[in-house]
Amino acid sequence: MQTPDEIIHQPVRLKVMAALNTLDAGKWLEFVALRAIVEATDGNLGAHLTTLENAGYVLVKKDFAGRKPRTRVCLSA
Amino acid sequence: MTTTVEEAAQALREIDLIRHRAAGFQDYQAESGQLLLWGLAYVVGFALTACFRDYLIPIWVVVVLVTIGVGTWMASRTGADGARVAWRYLAVIGTFLLFCLALNIVFWPLTPEQGAMLAPMLLAALYILRGIQLRPRYMVIGLLLGTLCLGGYILLLPVFWPWMTLACGGTLIVSGLWLRAL
Repeated sequence: MQTPDEIIHQPVRLKVMAALNTLDAGKWLEFVALRAIVEATDGNLGAHLTTLENAGYVLVKKDFAGRKPRTRVCLSA
Repeated sequence: MTTTVEEAAQALREIDLIRHRAAGFQDYQAESGQLLLWGLAYVVGFALTACFRDYLIPIWVVVVLVTIGVGTWMASRTGADGARVAWRYLAVIGTFLLFCLALNIVFWPLTPEQGAMLAPMLLAALYILRGIQLRPRYMVIGLLLGTLCLGGYILLLPVFWPWMTLACGGTLIVSGLWLRAL
């Protein structure tokens, strides 16, 4: 029997992965949208995204939409 | 680390809930663009009709064709399957327009005001139905659109065209912004 992946099988990170898994290929989800979907705080979600990014599960892109800074996330392939 | 059956079931329920919420968010995002586009189209169409009543038909032919063109382009940019989405979009809009045309034929002669009520009332009914079946915000949009348009037709006929600029176009624009907001 396979053992659960401790990185993914944490409740918030599992929600993040489930939400990102609904995106079409090449689509990104904005941080604020993801935060609303998984109902997490800024700091909490940011920390979990860092964990997932370091493990290679997600890609995080920071850019600007006009003058507003924007963080977007998607599953890594 | 071991996982109990109850923990696994709970995790699956949460995944299902999140997938539903994420799909709803994406659905609202896609819909908001179309609502803003058609809201703007109705504002322009009704405002021009209020100013140039004699050119009602050419005004609406141009407004509808331009809006369909832009709307199809927007639909084709959604997701990886853009071409299929664009064709489906054209089929939906085509069905909508044919239904309005059929109502015009069946109930002819209609006054310009009666003719102008067909599309907003049909749109309101479709949103209410969609809201009942899928997502609650659509029901609010449909109820608001239907109430304001019908109320204007019954109570504000002397200022029908300017009223419809706000009641129909304005409602759709505000609804589009509301769907975009989280």
